[in-house]
Amino acid sequence: MRIAYYPGCVAQESGKELDMATRWVCRALGIELVEFPNFSCCGSGFVDEANEVLNIAINARNLAIAEKAGLDILTICSTCQGMLTLAKVRMQDPKVKARVDGALKPLGIEYKGTVQVKHLLRVLTQDIGLPAVKAKVRRPLQGMKVGAFYGCHLLRPADEMGSESAEEPHSFEDLLTAVGATPVDYRGRVMCCGFPIQFVKPSTASAIAGRQILDAKAHGADAMATPCPLCHLSLDAYQNKAAKEVHAPLDMPVFHLPQVVGLAFGASPEELGLSRHLVPTDAALAKVRSPASA
Amino acid sequence: MPTDTISAPFDIYRYRPGKDAAPRYQRFTLELTPHTPVLTALLKIRAEIDPSLGLRYSCRSAICGSCAMQINSKSRLACETHIGPEVERHGRIVVEPMRNQPVLRDLVVDQSPFWREYDKIEPHLKLDPRHPMPEGKATSMSPAQVDRFKETPRCIACAACYSACPAVEADPAFPGPMALAKLYRFVVDPRDTATQDRLVRIQPNGLWLCLRCHLCTEACPKDVRPSERIRDLKEMAIAAQGGTELGSRHAIGFKENLKGGGLLNEMKLVRATSGLAGMAGQVGQGIRVWRKKPEIMKRPRTIEGMDEVEKIYAALDPPPKEEP
Repeated sequence: MRIAYYPGCVAQESGKELDMATRWVCRALGIELVEFPNFSCCGSGFVDEANEVLNIAINARNLAIAEKAGLDILTICSTCQGMLTLAKVRMQDPKVKARVDGALKPLGIEYKGTVQVKHLLRVLTQDIGLPAVKAKVRRPLQGMKVGAFYGCHLLRPADEMGSESAEEPHSFEDLLTAVGATPVDYRGRVMCCGFPIQFVKPSTASAIAGRQILDAKAHGADAMATPCPLCHLSLDAYQNKAAKEVHAPLDMPVFHLPQVVGLAFGASPEELGLSRHLVPTDAALAKVRSPASA
Repeated sequence: MPTDTISAPFDIYRYRPGKDAAPRYQRFTLELTPHTPVLTALLKIRAEIDPSLGLRYSCRSAICGSCAMQINSKSRLACETHIGPEVERHGRIVVEPMRNQPVLRDLVVDQSPFWREYDKIEPHLKLDPRHPMPEGKATSMSPAQVDRFKETPRCIACAACYSACPAVEADPAFPGPMALAKLYRFVVDPRDTATQDRLVRIQPNGLWLCLRCHLCTEACPKDVRPSERIRDLKEMAIAAQGGTELGSRHAIGFKENLKGGGLLNEMKLVRATSGLAGMAGQVGQGIRVWRKKPEIMKRPRTIEGMDEVEKIYAALDPPPKEEP
């Protein structure tokens, strides 16, 4: 399949390993990533707070770029997925559309609303399908217990996101099972990582992240996996601060979603950028049992 | 036509503070039809098995808001949650009191923290005494004005949102979704004369601690959509006062940041929000992250078609006044 690749800002900057892992996995599955150097940032929810209609307009421009090329959009960040989808939903309101079109039309940009925005989790579980994913597994992650961390914007608000049950999602666990890992069930999997208030009140943000990591740990997780690089920053890069807030050692390796898939497909830790994590992933990798045939 | 029953195992939280050493979970297994509401099952347990089970309820019709509790970790009204899907998904039904409020007994919580936050926002119309409402006459509102708060009056104050909110859980400075949704209702009421004052006062009092995780909107049984109203309040607070708080400065800073080249410049944003002094406090963490992720110091590329983004900003920022 061919799809317009919307990496978002973090995967092009401090979360480069997410971009590396995405490219590796998509290559393995024959997904052609079409790049558009004119995509802008999605506003990350913050522009939406400062100026809603502006936020819709910059995302309508992003949507229109892919639409014009006749391609759907692939996101690898829950916040990008949320913001692009929200723009699509808001543009169904004729009053909003008129205001936004007023800014886009003079630039020759036309947004029709035909483009679909799909997160990598959905592409892997629905478009490619779990049997095809399974068929590529060379090194099943047997023995590794993984807490899927959905975070917020893939799921909620459910009326807008609408890809699966926001309260009882299971696609991430299905994917983990398909690559041989054992998913761990815990309440925190659909909770917030705290990132949006990291700059407003870091202690509260880190306390929230810490709670979710502790919850995954209490349910036996060797590692967590997230579909969002902002959650990854909160859970991995700031995990030391989270540990301080919850007064407990955490030492929880946190994978980006395509890293887990890539590992099972046989990619090396270097190819997936695992050394760029703040919390080492070795302990989780050591849990993977060698295949019986090896 | 009779419906087949299923075997429904309930694990119910039991705790009498001051009397019991610790909370425990008590198992009751009932044969019920899948469409039985959890509340009906709890009342059956209390009537037929254990009369000491403490719970709060009244109308049984999702109107009074009394029976909010956690059902398999979700904050819900027990009267409108059917047992069938819960048993199917979880194999059992774990019933616990709401979160973020102290337990009084079993499933009954002390709601005073929730109501205290509600009282703080002064949930009544503030009118100008010099311009009293005309005696015996209704004040008129246009349909568009009414439309702005068509959702918030549906709130039944069940506190499911308060129970579901991770910001409430982590920080007592956050007023909670319901109080903020109510505040919104008065801010957009054209009869209220304290709009500016309400917005100015809420900025340093928790507005910017909302995570926009939308867990409140998910929990709300009446589709009040508190998280969206909180977003509205944030935009109105910025319009009223600009960036006086870290939260509003961050939102404004992010918006301005994209004018630089279309992609986020992380370092520049930290500077805009926290200032140089705030940045100094983050140097240690910054170096830790930078050693693994040196890109945080790099200026991102400028996107192609940046002129388009600039023109969109020129047209919509600040947003042009809407037609009334």
